[in-house]
Amino acid sequence: MTHLTLPDTKPRRLPFFLAMEEWAARHLPAEEDYLFTWVVGPTVICGRHQDIAAEVDLDFCRKADIDIVRRRSGGGAVFANADNIMVSLVTADTDVERAFARFTRTIATQLRHLGIDAEVSGRNDITVGGSKISGSAFLHLPGRSVVHCTMLFDTDAETMRRALTPARAKLLSKGVTSVESRIVTARELMPSLTRDALREGLLSGLTTGERRLTEAEVAEIEAMAREYDREDWLWRHGRDHGAQASRTMRIESAGTMTVRVAVDAAGRIADVKLSGDFFERDADALAQLLSGLRGVAPTAEALCEALRTTDVSRIISGLSTEQFINLITNN
Amino acid sequence: MIKYLPTHEYARIEGNEAYIGISPYAAHQLGNVVYVDMPEVDDTLVKDEEFGAIESVKAASDLFAPLSGTVTEVNEALVDNPRLVSDDPMKNWIIKIEISDPKEVEQLLDQEAYDAICDAEHKE
Repeated sequence: MTHLTLPDTKPRRLPFFLAMEEWAARHLPAEEDYLFTWVVGPTVICGRHQDIAAEVDLDFCRKADIDIVRRRSGGGAVFANADNIMVSLVTADTDVERAFARFTRTIATQLRHLGIDAEVSGRNDITVGGSKISGSAFLHLPGRSVVHCTMLFDTDAETMRRALTPARAKLLSKGVTSVESRIVTARELMPSLTRDALREGLLSGLTTGERRLTEAEVAEIEAMAREYDREDWLWRHGRDHGAQASRTMRIESAGTMTVRVAVDAAGRIADVKLSGDFFERDADALAQLLSGLRGVAPTAEALCEALRTTDVSRIISGLSTEQFINLITNN
Repeated sequence: MIKYLPTHEYARIEGNEAYIGISPYAAHQLGNVVYVDMPEVDDTLVKDEEFGAIESVKAASDLFAPLSGTVTEVNEALVDNPRLVSDDPMKNWIIKIEISDPKEVEQLLDQEAYDAICDAEHKE
């Protein structure tokens, strides 16, 4: 196997590395298999056919500055940061079963060399004592396969949980849903192991040569990476049904209210619909109130600001502005 | 008449129409299919270009068009039950098209040539 490397060490977003896999699959000779490791800043990576709005807490990710990317391989959503080391293999072996097995077995063996008692579990997980330390995904390209895995050196469990727990109704999801796993990290298992030592150890002895990408090749990869940021790719299951939250609340003074909030790609309100047995005092003002929320972030602060001069109780009987905001933000 | 692409899509050709799906070999490779991403009726297909994708519990794969044409039907049953593809990929086609260039059929693999590709891939 050949170690595919970059001409520099500057930090890059996740789409670059996905494009790097694909670039290698499309341009490098099929006689060789290529292997490389990479890390990114805080990122949620969704599977190809997942409904992002149903898998990810978009609001939380935005506030915490977490990048959201849709990969082309299948599977569920994962959270990555510098402590989650990614390993990518590009191979001409298009036999899924065999390529997958070879990859996961190889990585598990590398972990054992480092002193971590890892085993392959199921088809695409590597576990230690029943807890998952690594998950893999597979992408078929004509004549090539890309297999990649995560490897947990450490984790920010709270951020991971919050980023991947949707605030909005998961039931609306039309795509492939994620399955939560019990996880374990290399750091918990082997406190003496450093992150760099883990990263080096994953490839140690596996690669016989190095193929360094040129500046020009990096530029080509960067161009490919931009495809991942296309709205129609990222939000392919998104705005219409997925990014729509629906909730029903009983407010004693006003009645039962169901609110549907559609969120656009920028995370702002695209549409709000209100239904229920409440009494509207002024239909025109209600229509204006709802249309006036378009473009506003669905957060309490932004809504307070937008409704600073509005008294909702004059439009909907028995509903205060604060209750209305709570209804939209699900508080 | 059933013809194939080396990327494992088949075209079952009936007159000027073709049913397109994935081969039993590909279905077996993929295992349980969990999602089929299909084009819409009236979409145009260009031979050898991507027209959709399929995701199984193991892998995601692009789907390539064996022939150029216009989509006349998509197999709606796959929306709620993508596993049908795993169960019987020949019966559970993915889309039906109207062929726009019948000459392209000659470029496709017949059963024997396709089987040889599968054998080679498996033994590799």
